[in-house]
Amino acid sequence: MNEELILQHGLTLDEFQVIRKYLNRDLSIEELGIFSAMWNEHCCYKTSKKWLKKLPTDNEIVIQGPGENAGVIDLQDNDGIAFKIESHNHPSYIEPFNGSATGVGGILRDIFTMGARPIATLDSIRFGLIETEKTKYLLNGVVHGIGHYGNCIGIPNIGGECEFESTYDFNNLVNAMAVGHVQKDKIFYSKPKSIGGLIVYIGSKTGKDGIHGASMASDVFSEEDEDEKRPSVQVGDPFMEKLLMEGCLELMSSGLIESMQDMGAAGITSSSVEMASKGNVGVYINLDKVPLRQPLSAYEILLSESQERMLAVIDKKNNHKVREILQKWQIDYEVIGEITDTKRVVFESNNKKVVDLPVEIIVDDAPEYDREFYIPRKRKNKDFDFSKIKLEDMIINLLTNLNYLDKSWVFDQYDSTVMGDTIREPGQSSGIVKIHGTQKVIGASTDCNPLYIRINPYEGMKYTVAESYRNLIACNINPLAITNNLNFASPLDPNIMGELVLSIHGLKTAAVKFNTPIVSGNVSLYNQTNEIPIKPTPVIGMVGSNMDLNKINTNKFCEIGNKILILGKQLTKNCSPYLLQDQKIAFNICEFNDLEGLDLDFEKKIANCVLELSDLKCIMSCNDISRGGIFSALLKMQYKDMGFRVKVPDPIDLFCEYSAGYVIEIRSRDFEEVTSFLTKKGAEYLEIGEIIKEGIEINSKKFDYFDIMNKYRNDFEKIIS
Amino acid sequence: MSFKSAVITFPGSNCDRDALCYLKDLTKGEVHNIWHEETSLPKVDLVILPGGFSFGDYLRSGAMASKSKIIDEVVKHANDNRYLLGICNGFQILTEIGLLEGALIRNKKLKFLGKNCFIKKKFKNNFNLSIKDNQILQIPVAHNEGNFYCDTETLNLLKNNEQIAFEYCKGEFSNTEENINGSIEAIAGITNKKKNVLGMMPHPERAYSDFHQSQDGRLIIESLIS
Repeated sequence: MNEELILQHGLTLDEFQVIRKYLNRDLSIEELGIFSAMWNEHCCYKTSKKWLKKLPTDNEIVIQGPGENAGVIDLQDNDGIAFKIESHNHPSYIEPFNGSATGVGGILRDIFTMGARPIATLDSIRFGLIETEKTKYLLNGVVHGIGHYGNCIGIPNIGGECEFESTYDFNNLVNAMAVGHVQKDKIFYSKPKSIGGLIVYIGSKTGKDGIHGASMASDVFSEEDEDEKRPSVQVGDPFMEKLLMEGCLELMSSGLIESMQDMGAAGITSSSVEMASKGNVGVYINLDKVPLRQPLSAYEILLSESQERMLAVIDKKNNHKVREILQKWQIDYEVIGEITDTKRVVFESNNKKVVDLPVEIIVDDAPEYDREFYIPRKRKNKDFDFSKIKLEDMIINLLTNLNYLDKSWVFDQYDSTVMGDTIREPGQSSGIVKIHGTQKVIGASTDCNPLYIRINPYEGMKYTVAESYRNLIACNINPLAITNNLNFASPLDPNIMGELVLSIHGLKTAAVKFNTPIVSGNVSLYNQTNEIPIKPTPVIGMVGSNMDLNKINTNKFCEIGNKILILGKQLTKNCSPYLLQDQKIAFNICEFNDLEGLDLDFEKKIANCVLELSDLKCIMSCNDISRGGIFSALLKMQYKDMGFRVKVPDPIDLFCEYSAGYVIEIRSRDFEEVTSFLTKKGAEYLEIGEIIKEGIEINSKKFDYFDIMNKYRNDFEKIIS
Repeated sequence: MSFKSAVITFPGSNCDRDALCYLKDLTKGEVHNIWHEETSLPKVDLVILPGGFSFGDYLRSGAMASKSKIIDEVVKHANDNRYLLGICNGFQILTEIGLLEGALIRNKKLKFLGKNCFIKKKFKNNFNLSIKDNQILQIPVAHNEGNFYCDTETLNLLKNNEQIAFEYCKGEFSNTEENINGSIEAIAGITNKKKNVLGMMPHPERAYSDFHQSQDGRLIIESLIS
């Protein structure tokens, strides 16, 4: 086989030699395609596996950890929660609408493949600076795509993040998360149960879209590539997915299928190989039976990433019944093969075996690298000059920065109330939905602090996990488990590999301390274009619960006259990275001081105080303090024309970041009870002011409430159009 | 006698379950779920055509659903002077069937709109009896094509016959819009001439439970039952 062909398939010559030696024969082009799809980063985690193994993935509530289509946790009674986050970064840069739409479609399939009905989605999206036309185009396309898919299939979008930073100018990020509800005794796994079971194809016909999508996702980009790569972006049809979802859920609840696997990245290849590997069996598939949209070669069928397709294993005797149910939903259905005892993957086309490989070589012998990594140098701390900065300017700096403005323009394009169980919509610290027919609620939040992680990957990652944790705590949601989406640039650069290794270490430390295991996730590497790497962006999706929907907090002001208290510990102004960056005090990444170490025990202590006070019904509203400090937290809490009057020693304190930071609103009559509770617990607090009607007052200085609010609510749309 | 109702499900309907819960919780009566390929409809007091993307909104929102097998029965039900309520995509289907006037075109900003909106009643009918004049209702909308349009002649007919049931309005606090999607005269819902068929874009079935942000959606079922 010629070298060029091997390299085109994303394999190194060394990797090829391993295969060649094992098989002791030449490979067919179809076989080469299979290795190309299965041995890339996206499918086999060859760079990250060594480090991911160190993450905590189990505790008393984990039903299914990483390795299945989604993780599942126990929510008592017969309720389980399946969830996962996945990236669609590269496709969304090439074709923002379809790239992001199919990202949502893919993650929803991961959820209902487990037998779970999706009940919520969230999206973590990041773009470059809005000043470029390209960013506007990407933002519009991505938001439209996410909305188009999720709205049509009818799953509420309950939150996420949307940030802008020059580091994503040529490499935007789209990470989609989905949460589903499953009855614990009805969870489906990809492992087939019996030899001789029929392998059936369910869903859309196979076309040319997405061929080599998975290996593209593991590729470094250059700008000229864009047009060339466009044919490998999949095209989604949410209507078909809705039918597929209803059809599959009906099949699963009627007990007609044994196991199921979504045809996601690397299509039929990946799903069938995984099935064989999980069950320690073999698969035989006749490619001539695959429903096609257009004439395709065996090679193309194997690598197509056409959307809305499933592979399932059924008992022969159920064939007729399965067909009947799928006919009602107007879904294509074909028996294409069977489970064998050979432990080999065999694909046949035109009466010829085009692929005949042992499962072992594809899966177990997949490469695993221990790449070189550097640990960042220790930073020297210095004092910055804050003397020239005025309060008015600080407010303006926030109100002219998209990252601080109300993002209703984004969220309003999503249906967040369909299914009728939504309790907290996007724009609050966490999205919350009710488990249908119960009093239980699920809260979810996605977060990442790329700037923190860039400064100190280990501590920065701890802050990221803590931020997600606080987002849930602020709503009186008990954090339970994590899904992660590790977006990094090329791991071939030891500095970037160092960011990856250290942030996984930070994730581990925080997850162990919070008892929030990582149950699912995704790794997206090579996020760089024209050799400009993105900032490390390991996104966390955290899920939690409260068994009683009447106990959850709002993030919005409740009543004029109520007092405002601050919990937690302020980071010094010299060590508040977003303050320094967004107030234009520090510009270059090497200027920043190191992060203050995050005390996770302190985080837990304060969080427990918030949870207890919430259960005592002493907290009227609560928000966590993150980027933009107390001021930004208060701005997000404004509601029904209520504002705030606050007094602080130094106005800069209002913009500093926090560890374990929360703003809480309490009634005057509860003040004694709350403060003595906090004192007893050894939790310091700061009483900073009260809620007032239509006003913003800082240290006796009055600001125009409606002017600030209009900018906060409406300028996002002005800036991006 | 107990109030009986039914919800029709088309392929792509995604508010059918919500509508079923809404009816079960508020009417306490028998509620049927009818698949679009059925050819008979039980005798019920109210039929809901739910929201969603029936047939993927292909061709035109509501156009394909209006040709479903069950539609003959739905029309008969309406001609029998019984209640028929189309919500969101259901409203679009009703205009495609021809039971309601006008059409729903793309929102003025050409973007999907999923948020709370505020409406009040315009002319009295059996669907809004329990709502006070000038009472502002907060109910979510979620649509891409909710911008009601008709020609002047039709508009005059709708007015003269008092067929406009709901119109969008500003909420109690700042920063709410008067007419969120650009509908002609801010129309949010209309009835047929006999006022037993209502189509509306806002989703009352998402605003009735104690945990919802608003419970104003109850008023529609309460009006029909009273």
